[in-house]
Amino acid sequence: MTAVTPARAAVPGRAATPARTAAGGPPQRGSRASRTVVRVLVAAALVWTLVPLGWMLLSSFKPTASVTASTPDLWFAPTLQNYRGLFSGANNLWPYLQNSVLAAGLSALLATALGALAGYGLARTRMRGKQHLSFWVVSTRMAPIAAVVLPIFLIFRFLGLIDTLPGLVLAYLSFNLPFAIWLLSAFFSELPPSLEESAQVAGCGHWQAFRHVVLPLTRPGLVTTFVLCLVFSWNDYAFALVLGGPHTQTLPIAASQLVTQTGIDWGQLTAIGTLVVVPMMLVGLAVRRWLVTGLTMGAVTGE
Amino acid sequence: MDSSPTGNVRETGSPATPPARPTPPARPARRAALPLAGFNGRMMAPGLLLLAAVSLLPLAAVIAMSFARVHLLGGLRLEGVGAENWARLFTDPDMAWAWVRTAVYFVLTVGGEMALGTALAVCLWRLRRGRNAALSLLLLPMFVAPVIVGLLGRFLTDSTFGLYTWLLRQLGYNGDVMADQTSAFAAVTLMDIWEWTPLVALIALAGLTTVPSSALEAASLDGAGLPRTLRHIVLPSIAPVLLVALLIRSMDALRYFDIIWNTTGGGPANATKTASVQLYETAFRFFDFGYAAVTGLLMLAVTTVVARYFVRLLERKEPAR
Repeated sequence: MTAVTPARAAVPGRAATPARTAAGGPPQRGSRASRTVVRVLVAAALVWTLVPLGWMLLSSFKPTASVTASTPDLWFAPTLQNYRGLFSGANNLWPYLQNSVLAAGLSALLATALGALAGYGLARTRMRGKQHLSFWVVSTRMAPIAAVVLPIFLIFRFLGLIDTLPGLVLAYLSFNLPFAIWLLSAFFSELPPSLEESAQVAGCGHWQAFRHVVLPLTRPGLVTTFVLCLVFSWNDYAFALVLGGPHTQTLPIAASQLVTQTGIDWGQLTAIGTLVVVPMMLVGLAVRRWLVTGLTMGAVTGE
Repeated sequence: MDSSPTGNVRETGSPATPPARPTPPARPARRAALPLAGFNGRMMAPGLLLLAAVSLLPLAAVIAMSFARVHLLGGLRLEGVGAENWARLFTDPDMAWAWVRTAVYFVLTVGGEMALGTALAVCLWRLRRGRNAALSLLLLPMFVAPVIVGLLGRFLTDSTFGLYTWLLRQLGYNGDVMADQTSAFAAVTLMDIWEWTPLVALIALAGLTTVPSSALEAASLDGAGLPRTLRHIVLPSIAPVLLVALLIRSMDALRYFDIIWNTTGGGPANATKTASVQLYETAFRFFDFGYAAVTGLLMLAVTTVVARYFVRLLERKEPAR
């Protein structure tokens, strides 16, 4: 069906040119019709993806009456009252924000640091049973949260770690650490071992070679690992729900609690949603080039 | 060889040099008896010991719990009950239904994400201009906390002021989405698809960019249409990458329960009560930790099988490097 239509001219601005002139040109990907279809489909995907997010953003700047209008209200006087309401009066979001930043940041930092060491070792070791080690690391990362949170709850209760920040950081390490080890080991395996060897020949110690040669070359990998660990733990809900308490509540918990208590203030809820979502989108897109590698744990390298 | 240690890694050096020396056999056979000895071992030790503490310890605990009754009040203690919890598994219709729902949810979300994600990737791949901008925008849902996806879904489908409720009403559907069993199930499925289709698209697109353009040109010269080109050239060459996407999504689909928990909480009438939700309720609403542990171990078994396959796949890829 598409093969019959002659290919379109290479110059994009010449849409009106008769198709005839394109004959004899280089083979083009698809006809004009099929490209229109592609554009329409991508546009549809964009609408489906962005409408919920745009609506959340818009609603967070709406006055309360407008948020819950039964017909969608697009003409309203923008206000910051929802955001102001989150940081003043009955609910003060600052401690939640602080907990989120500390728990997610610390666990991402620790995971990246320990993951760099262990990932390097894993990439370079030639010990027996290496694949068992790899399997253990991957399966730990992929273990269902509901199954993991259960024993951790009991252990933490036994150790008195419930509702403490170190406890939450440790719990986040249960999925961030294996992720960091595995991903960084994939990044390290991309580097030829001859690199450190030549550094060692030049007089570096093994550690110095790692510190001054390998690490600087893996900077994208380190940043990607840190960012993804940050996103995973910042977005966590289940661990914070079970292991947290009044002193360690994070933003996702605060968001879900707005629902259950005293009716739902949807204006504030969309505001808190925006606060939770926007920082992660920014850091996530900042490492977009390495996202494929990161999210497939090194199985696919992109772009 | 190269004296500057920070030189370009991917050495594109003189064509005379043989490509990337194979691992030097001269290296001393330092295959240490202790797995954590030697430089590599010392590097791994802190990370792996901590990992053992946060993974093996809980695993041992959850196995112990599955054979016990857990008392929380008056000091934590486990009272052994033999295989009682496991025996209950086979006589519990609620649990069986939870697994059926999990299977349906799994097939619909992962299947939908794979199909839509691949289709979206093909569209993006054929897009001439604006591919990068479109991709960046399309990736945004991946970074949204699942809780927020759930809450946002509730907001959009609220029976009085939800934007999607209003849209559906214009289309002639007047029901309350979250109150009906079928539509509630569809809603939580669509929320998961909304969030994770971009991931599949991203991975598939990475595969598509490696499809050799010579093969495509040959196909177009032979007069093969789009459907045939896709089927015979494109799909076979991105199949390995799609498999990775499938495995990653399969493992993650069982991981989260945030969306369901924050939208329907398992309802209406248990219509969206998957194994994860059931586990959470058993443990933290009815404090039946032993039975919850059994569910947890079953879920763990499923993901372990997938993880095993994933690691095999990577190992097969290894020698190609």
